[in-house]
Amino acid sequence: MSVLRPLDKLPRLNTATILLVGTEDALLQQLADSMLKEDCASELKVHLAKSLPLPSSVNRPRIDLIVFVVNLHSKYSLQNTEESLHHVDASFFLGKVCFLATGAGRESHCSIHRHTMVKLAHTYQSPLLYCDLEVEGFRATMAQRLVRMLQMCAGHVPGVSALNLLSLLRSSEGPSLEDM
Amino acid sequence: MNQQDLDPDSTTDVGDVTNTEEELIRECEEMWKDMEECQNKLSLTGTETLTDVNAKLSLLIMQVKCLTAELSQWQKKKPEIIPLTEDVLLTLGKEEFQKLRHDLEMVLSTMESKNEKLKEDLEREQRWLDEQQQIMESLNVLHNELKNKVETFSESRVFKELKTKLLNVKEYKEKLLSTLGEFLEGHFPLPDGSVKKKKKNIQESTIQLITLHEMLEILINRLFDVPHDPYVKISDSFWPPYVELLLRNGIALRHPEDPTRIRLEAFHQ
Repeated sequence: MSVLRPLDKLPRLNTATILLVGTEDALLQQLADSMLKEDCASELKVHLAKSLPLPSSVNRPRIDLIVFVVNLHSKYSLQNTEESLHHVDASFFLGKVCFLATGAGRESHCSIHRHTMVKLAHTYQSPLLYCDLEVEGFRATMAQRLVRMLQMCAGHVPGVSALNLLSLLRSSEGPSLEDM
Repeated sequence: MNQQDLDPDSTTDVGDVTNTEEELIRECEEMWKDMEECQNKLSLTGTETLTDVNAKLSLLIMQVKCLTAELSQWQKKKPEIIPLTEDVLLTLGKEEFQKLRHDLEMVLSTMESKNEKLKEDLEREQRWLDEQQQIMESLNVLHNELKNKVETFSESRVFKELKTKLLNVKEYKEKLLSTLGEFLEGHFPLPDGSVKKKKKNIQESTIQLITLHEMLEILINRLFDVPHDPYVKISDSFWPPYVELLLRNGIALRHPEDPTRIRLEAFHQ
């Protein structure tokens, strides 16, 4: 299957799966480790990928949340993400996709403007999170947030669906008129 | 859809447990069947990818549809609870009690440690109090002693003491003077008539000679009466050999300018 679909399989019992897509292997690995260290009632599975589409030979459980990790220091990272977005089914964007921008701390090294990311997130109606994944403390906090989001997207939190979460996370700041 | 995996881990009667377990498992199986049906329906729908151009609009439309659907679902839904059979209630009750016990144990340990601390504080304060009391006692004792000493001072006693001293000294003085007088009388008598005088050559007047004792008395009195001019004129009543004796032994001194005047040497200065 070249296109990722949200509800293509039955879920495994008490399991939640997250897919991290990004070009920075080391950062993704570190983030995955931080997430697995978190205390969570459900079982967590973290998949890492450089880009989509994923190889179809692997038997994987259904994905509950996709996080696109973009490194603000490299234009290639953004390009890669944009291409991968085309291999994602439209219904995923109802709260099961999230963008994570890293490297905003070192302003001088940023080659991608913040507005680009904001525009991207706004186009795909998905939440945009900022985090310096290189810093241990920020990474741990972000891991906590992602775990919580994942639980909600997998339906393990009674009363809250992914779409509800999306409505709650909707930021009132959209890209300014001149960018549109 | 929310999953509710409830497998009660109770250790109550096996009979009751199996019944509730069976019921719960049955309910779970039903839910799973529903899910499988939905899944089948879902797999029939096609996939749809987005381009940058149409993304926002189509997503928003989709969101509207889904939110409406969810809303109607919520409105239809009635709250369900797990069947409250006896052993389920028992298990729940046990859990509650466990929690309560845990909390109470925590409270107990906190109170105990607080008590310990308070006891320690009390002991410390007690020791401090004892020390302070000891200090106060010793200060009191000191105070009393000093008070006693001050009271025993009275003017009359001092006066009496001085009087006695004065009397003693006067007595001593009298004794000394009488001893001196006796000594002088014994060893330095006045010349008597056995010394032959030529009436014609030595125009001796019939002036009475005074004793050495009296001479010394005059000199002493003069020294103490008029300290700035202790000189006494040598009168004829002084027997010249005795004057010489006094002068030669350093008991009396001549006036530096006037040979007729002598004074007593100031032995007391």
